[in-house]
Amino acid sequence: MWATLAFTFGTLVVFIFLDRFVANDIQRRSDAWLSGEVEVLGDVAERTPNDALYGRVVGEVAELASREVPEKGASQQPENDSVFFIQTARDGSLKLWVGAGDGQSHLQAIQASQLAASRPVSIHVRGYAVPFRVASDSMGDGGRVYLGLSERDQRRVILNLRIRFFVLWLSIVLLGFAIVFFTSRRTLSHVRNITEAASHIGESDLKLRVPTSSRNDEISQLGDTLNRMLDRIENSVNQLHTITGSLAHDLRSPLTAIRGKLETSLASHDADHAEPIVSAIEELDRLTDFLNKSLDVAEAKADALRLHPTNIDMDELLRSTIDLYEPSMNDRGIRLRLHSAAPVHIVADEGLIHRMVANLFDNELKHLPSGCSVDIYLQSQEGEAKLIVRDNGPGFDAEVREHLFTKAVKGRRSSGHGLGLAFVDAVVRAHAGKVSADNLSSGGARILVSLPMAAHEADRMPTAHAS
Amino acid sequence: MRLLMVEDEHDIQAFLQQALSEAGYSVDVAPDGRAAEALAKANTYDILIVDLGLPDQDGITLITRLRQMGVLAPVLILSARRSVDDRVRGLEQGGDDYLTKPFALAELLARLRNLLKRNAPQGSELTRLRVQDLELDLLRREAIRSGQVLQLTPQEFVLLEYLCRNAGRVVTRSMILDKVWGMRIQPDTNVVDVHIYRLRGKVDSNGQTPLIRTLRGVGYVLQDR
Repeated sequence: MWATLAFTFGTLVVFIFLDRFVANDIQRRSDAWLSGEVEVLGDVAERTPNDALYGRVVGEVAELASREVPEKGASQQPENDSVFFIQTARDGSLKLWVGAGDGQSHLQAIQASQLAASRPVSIHVRGYAVPFRVASDSMGDGGRVYLGLSERDQRRVILNLRIRFFVLWLSIVLLGFAIVFFTSRRTLSHVRNITEAASHIGESDLKLRVPTSSRNDEISQLGDTLNRMLDRIENSVNQLHTITGSLAHDLRSPLTAIRGKLETSLASHDADHAEPIVSAIEELDRLTDFLNKSLDVAEAKADALRLHPTNIDMDELLRSTIDLYEPSMNDRGIRLRLHSAAPVHIVADEGLIHRMVANLFDNELKHLPSGCSVDIYLQSQEGEAKLIVRDNGPGFDAEVREHLFTKAVKGRRSSGHGLGLAFVDAVVRAHAGKVSADNLSSGGARILVSLPMAAHEADRMPTAHAS
Repeated sequence: MRLLMVEDEHDIQAFLQQALSEAGYSVDVAPDGRAAEALAKANTYDILIVDLGLPDQDGITLITRLRQMGVLAPVLILSARRSVDDRVRGLEQGGDDYLTKPFALAELLARLRNLLKRNAPQGSELTRLRVQDLELDLLRREAIRSGQVLQLTPQEFVLLEYLCRNAGRVVTRSMILDKVWGMRIQPDTNVVDVHIYRLRGKVDSNGQTPLIRTLRGVGYVLQDR
């Protein structure tokens, strides 16, 4: 934008300079002609007998003079009033007049300006809008000759020039604007394409690439660079999959064997000796659970969760989850309330959504002090299923809140391995939803999960109510 | 009951064989797919346990081939992978079941029993369940112990019914979550235990012989004798 403005002003300055230069040049040329011609005419006037021929000779010269100026408009006029010639006698009275009119007003103007120098000057003559450029020369008999040339033609030439300059300047500027507009729009549309393609990558498939063009400009270089980066990311993710896959297998088999051996040995021991074996089994189960959740979060973070979407009613799902969790909450002195009026259907992986919701409840159960209450809100809003879990507990710790969903974090009072909310985030993201958490000004924490609702749910809802 | 176990890990083979023999199965072991096919051709099995990660072929391919050979026995799939892929789900719907490693032995045995029961001819639909002095009226949704009607919530009745149907057998927490709440989740908290404690408070009240027993690290059992 600034470059365009600078270009506009730059060309304007160049044109103004050109205009001045051309105007000065025309002035100088006409002045040189006037000075030369007035000398010639003075000579002619001295030598030529003052007869009828004299007038014609000077008339010829004046005619020639008017041709000196290009773009002459005087030819259309019956009388050439752009040039005049005056010869004065010693006392300054008019001796010879060639030109339009009687010459008196011209002479008066010349005398009023006290023209003496041989250099031409501009003189305004009464009755003429445009000044005359007048040169003079003294003659042997003490009289003077004056040759005047109207600046009208000169001005017209300059005006024409200026109009052309202006039109040229305007078209250059407009062309410049147009070029800048279209090239930047083209460039921006390339960038937009890349942005759009890049935003789809990862949401669905890491195999996608941003569009590149065969042109070797900065934008296609950007695209190539992005694609190379994506290659590396895809490789890393694939490696992650391989590693997690083999890690899962390599760890699971020995864990299975250990657990199995502990269990079989449990059967051959009496109750007194069973205790260490049982606690070993429990530790092993905790380790397994941690391994499973870590792998889940890692896979989900890498957009590698395998989804098996089905139609789920969140209302029903929440009710059965609350059914499961309510006794535990009551035991801890926590009240649990559901605010949901109607079924809200989403298309999602049922197992993952179950676990996601269970994680939210586990989170409340683990962190909320006795005497608090949890309110669950379920609404359908603008094609989204909104699930809000609100409590009136102490809220999130400031340092924990920053990266609540990004990695395994846990507050000071927390038990467990802090993967719960990271898993919630991963699952919601995998379903193209959003999750956010904040502390309420009235105290307590709030977690907001929004998931896209099942397609044509909006059409189905009213009929479902009617039936 | 003849059981074919297809598993390549020696450690797992060893303890599974021991545990399954103790549970009354006569166990044949195949370390890979080819051996499994040979054994399945030579013998008839009541049930199969197949590990997905076999050295010579994929477990799913093996099951498909066994089915083509005419093996109709139910299969319990063991998988080291957590995210169960579509093909396993497909098999699960066809009457088979899967278990991810590591697993509780009790869970494995319970699932084997479930698979065998599913295949066994169904008896007439029960309207009453009876375990010792506990009686469940499935039509009236009423539980009676020693002539006393127990004040149970509908959910507690479903839980008790599940325990009664599996009386004398261990049920794990994940089995309870799956069958009673329809959820395959692993809660970080002891939500199932709280339900069991509450149920136990109602079923085993005022000095009666405890019916519901906790097996630590394994699950629960409703004692039938």
